[in-house]
Amino acid sequence: MTEYWGIKVEDIFNSMKDRFRPEGAKDVDAIFGYDIKDEGKWKLTVKNNEMKIEKSDDLAGCVATMKADGETFVGVNSGKVDATNAFMGGKVKVEGDMAAFGKTGKMFRKFVIAKKAMSTKEYLEDMFATVVPRFKASEAEGVDASFAFDLGGPDGGKWTIFIKDKKCTMTTTIEGKPSVTLEFNDAKDYVDFILGKIDAQSLLAAGRASAKGDINMMQTKWPVLFDKYKDPVGSAVPEQELLVLKKIISVNQKYATGPIMGKFLKGLKEKKIFGNKCNKCGRMQLPPREVCAECRVRAGDFVEVGPKGEVRYMDIVYYAMPDPLTGVARETPYGAINVLLDGCKGNETLPHFIRKDQIEKIQMGWNEKKGTRVRPVWEENRTGDIWDIKYFEIDE
Amino acid sequence: MAHRKKNRNVAIIGIGQTKHSSHREDVNQPEMIHEAVSLALKDANLTMNDIDCIVHGNMELFEMVHQPDMWHVLGTGAYGKDSIRITTGGTVGATLSCASDNLVASEMYDIVMAIGFEKLQEGHTTGGITNMADPLWFRKIQAGALTGSSAYDVEREFGLERANRASLTYRIIMDKHAGLNPNAHRAFGLDFSQIDDLIKSSPKLVGELKLIEMCSQSDGACCVIFACEKKAKKLSKSPVWIRDHITAHKEETFTIFGYNREFPVMKTHKFAAEQLFKRNDIKNPLEYFDVFEMYDPASWWAIDWLRDFFDLKGDEHLKLIENKEIMIGGKMPINPSGGVIGSNPIGATALIRVAEAALQVRGNAGGHQIPTPVNHALASGFGGTMWTVMTMLEKELNW
Repeated sequence: MTEYWGIKVEDIFNSMKDRFRPEGAKDVDAIFGYDIKDEGKWKLTVKNNEMKIEKSDDLAGCVATMKADGETFVGVNSGKVDATNAFMGGKVKVEGDMAAFGKTGKMFRKFVIAKKAMSTKEYLEDMFATVVPRFKASEAEGVDASFAFDLGGPDGGKWTIFIKDKKCTMTTTIEGKPSVTLEFNDAKDYVDFILGKIDAQSLLAAGRASAKGDINMMQTKWPVLFDKYKDPVGSAVPEQELLVLKKIISVNQKYATGPIMGKFLKGLKEKKIFGNKCNKCGRMQLPPREVCAECRVRAGDFVEVGPKGEVRYMDIVYYAMPDPLTGVARETPYGAINVLLDGCKGNETLPHFIRKDQIEKIQMGWNEKKGTRVRPVWEENRTGDIWDIKYFEIDE
Repeated sequence: MAHRKKNRNVAIIGIGQTKHSSHREDVNQPEMIHEAVSLALKDANLTMNDIDCIVHGNMELFEMVHQPDMWHVLGTGAYGKDSIRITTGGTVGATLSCASDNLVASEMYDIVMAIGFEKLQEGHTTGGITNMADPLWFRKIQAGALTGSSAYDVEREFGLERANRASLTYRIIMDKHAGLNPNAHRAFGLDFSQIDDLIKSSPKLVGELKLIEMCSQSDGACCVIFACEKKAKKLSKSPVWIRDHITAHKEETFTIFGYNREFPVMKTHKFAAEQLFKRNDIKNPLEYFDVFEMYDPASWWAIDWLRDFFDLKGDEHLKLIENKEIMIGGKMPINPSGGVIGSNPIGATALIRVAEAALQVRGNAGGHQIPTPVNHALASGFGGTMWTVMTMLEKELNW
């Protein structure tokens, strides 16, 4: 099996049992399939807050099956590849019930790459091998200095780093008269110090380390001249949980209608639809407004229009749009229509919804083409609200 | 429209932006803003002491924090300075740029810093957009910024197949551009060979508008520093001059669709572009401009709008896309940055258009720098219901 970032596809599946979160699997009773290209197929059964993962060529009965190649699968699970990007770009596909598959996201804790331990010797080699690549020439304008390291113990050694003319060089001896020399009795302390496991003050205080020469240079210049050392086997700091505060804001609000909108909404209560006309341009405003937005003059008298009309445009909405005030998602798909009510012309259309089971039958109107004729279906108990019209339906 | 000559010239002298991403749980709002502010100050070689006024902008309904500029003082550095907050919808970033330009041109301030930001993961974008609609009726019907109407328009005029292919070609060009921009949020590595597959496989949101064609929801911030001519010349080796900008919007109603040839709907993009080019005596904008950073919330809108901005006839706009003339290296490169489809921290988005256009003029945009010299750049902003802001940038002070 191929390894990606040091991880095999089966590592992800084999660790599922340990990563399982029963609280994320509440009320889930389903079988999920994983079809990983050139690697095999796995079947995940979730029931009664328990799970079972097995390698199986038979993915029959799965509510949803995820398809991906090994690299993408490992990448998404280990956080090396952005899951949304992989999905949008077609590298991860989900066949079957997408919404059901989404629940697997909450069932497992994140996969964490097992850290391989590095010895003090390996760390020292890596730390000094990366000094020159970590050097930032742009920060070294006018700097002429040398930093010496004298590290004791079984793994220790000597290094000098020279900076001159915006260039950085290194020797594995101590040469000349360094600007500053750092001495550690045990090289292991130096490694721990760089990895942030122990602080310089305690080492100095305990006499386990000392600095000679221009200490200030070491303290203030070194961090600017070099990028921070990155631990190749993961962060030296234990992985932190990022705290996120969750809030739900729910505010009661009421909006005054004013006389013009008030007339429109009161009309709905009486099964009447009112617009008002601009006396200057002749445009009908629907719903009515105080002024014509184009002519900027007070709009004229109310005119009763419709209630029947012709569909000029329809959006079939598949995205489960939540009501911003209640958070409840609308049932999809639904048809949002623009109706040209009788008595209106041009673009003077009223937006509303079409009866759900009639979406497929709607024809959109255009100059050469008549749109489907529709009529409003009124609510029994009307309150003066746009929902006094439940929806429009085909006028047959 | 009444429009007077500028009181004095204004240039962009500093630009900074964060990497745009869907995951910035590692920083809070002021911390994220501070990243962009620090980068812009570094770019301009200035400190906060040099800044006279701060113009701060976002869409407050997204994060639901009122007066965010006060909490953000820690990140903006506005303490003890004049500060103004602006919210105008999707255009807010472009309006920040207009306001900063006006504040400097009027001689109120010599150096103004504009900051646009958004952390869309901290709120509900579609819910926030829907809340902007008339609460008395349309809020109950609207579906955020999602509509298939542009797709329907293009389809009806050019047929479903050509329309779909043009939209996906545009989308993939943006993805290729985003791949060159390390700050872009989404770069999938799409290729033109995937067009047919994506038409079939990408989930539909509304009508023919597919998930792959819609913009992202990003976290990110952008900061741009504006200076008067005297200071710009003194402080900057490559100031980018703001020649002109225009803002146009329509009545608040969502019945903006025209489905009758005898009653054409005047779109704000077309109106704004006509006015702007006329008063600057630009006869052929397609020839004049070297790059266009367009606010493209979805590929359908983008392909339709190209016609409005450049006053193109017939299918000229589709040909520009089909012949890949809108790619880096083409006749009119659109969004070398990857555009709004690539990154969309809404309050920063329209400011990023101006910033990216300015980077192209300076010639140091990085991996997505267009190879030919950029002397004249155009940037647009868009917001609901129909808002347009356009900004013209120049390399030389010679118009």
